[in-house]
Amino acid sequence: MDIGAFLKWLEASGLAARIRESLFLFPLLESTHVIGLALVFGTILIIDLRLLGLASTQRPFQRMASDILKWTWAAFAMTAVTGALMFITNAPVYYHNFFFRTKMLLLVLTGINMLVFELTAGRTIHGWDQAPSAPPAGKAVAALSLVMWIGIIFMGRLIGFTTSRAAVAPPPAAGVNFEDFLQGTPNSSGGTSTTPPPNK
Amino acid sequence: MKQFAEWLSTTFLSVFIQNHNSWAIPTIQSIHIVGIALVLGSVFMIDLRILGWAGTDQTLRQTTSRFGPWLTGALCLLLVTGVLMVIGEPVRELVTFSFWLKMLLVAVGTLIAVVFRITLRKREQQWEETLVTRRSTKLLAILTFLVWACIIILGRLIAYDHIWGSWSPATKS
Repeated sequence: MDIGAFLKWLEASGLAARIRESLFLFPLLESTHVIGLALVFGTILIIDLRLLGLASTQRPFQRMASDILKWTWAAFAMTAVTGALMFITNAPVYYHNFFFRTKMLLLVLTGINMLVFELTAGRTIHGWDQAPSAPPAGKAVAALSLVMWIGIIFMGRLIGFTTSRAAVAPPPAAGVNFEDFLQGTPNSSGGTSTTPPPNK
Repeated sequence: MKQFAEWLSTTFLSVFIQNHNSWAIPTIQSIHIVGIALVLGSVFMIDLRILGWAGTDQTLRQTTSRFGPWLTGALCLLLVTGVLMVIGEPVRELVTFSFWLKMLLVAVGTLIAVVFRITLRKREQQWEETLVTRRSTKLLAILTFLVWACIIILGRLIAYDHIWGSWSPATKS
């Protein structure tokens, strides 16, 4: 199966259809994604500023890392799951979107950046654990990490401006009520796809 | 409010943002999200300290003096970028149920932070020794985090205000 067929298969899956047809699921996935990414970036910033010697300089680095990074990973898992669920609703469009691709590339680069840390400053960690900042290699990794994560946030927001939502969410009819949410979503009979607005 | 929003959309700054909306709006929104990360990250670290799930090598006072200024600074950044978004798209923001409910919760979240910092300064010893161990304090820490999480959800729902049905002023033309 080539990638095009795979993307179409993802998009045609029952789960993707369920998300598209719901009035609430996509916005809630987006919100959960933002909560997750806020925790990812917020906690990474704490670690990076410590490596750069700009904050928390009195605290041993390893203690901070073991305290904080488990939460970073949990939050990252949250963004990965919500991100994947958003992706499948409109897989071919996201796959070909420039900002989506740049974001994925940056994510891979942050992974490599982390690996570089393990192979350089990470090896001598006992030597600088109590020092106010990491050695130059550690500082470089931290600075790059901050730049790339901010880039990831910008790319993510731009995806919403450059892709049309695949959802067949009906136009806001005056009859739709919040109470409908509690009883399940109003039925939108999938086939008629009007041009949906971007997720601004 | 609708008239005010329409008037606001004719002001110079609003017209400028509208004319450059291909980059201006996404850029302002992205900076806003960076600010959200700073706020949620700071609140998260202080709450984890109260719950005893992280940062237990630090006192409560040390934790709040590390993250408090970031929280304040980030809230200012959010206010500036938030005001710019309202000026840039007044009708989209002001004529929604989500926006006003969000503003209410922002007031609640900020009030909790201010009261917490004042009482911590006044009764530091009591906070460090007894208050922080109380179950009600820990519950309040979790609630505070949930308030900020709801603020994020409501912020995103501004783009989908029709989901509130008849509660949304946007659906009444």
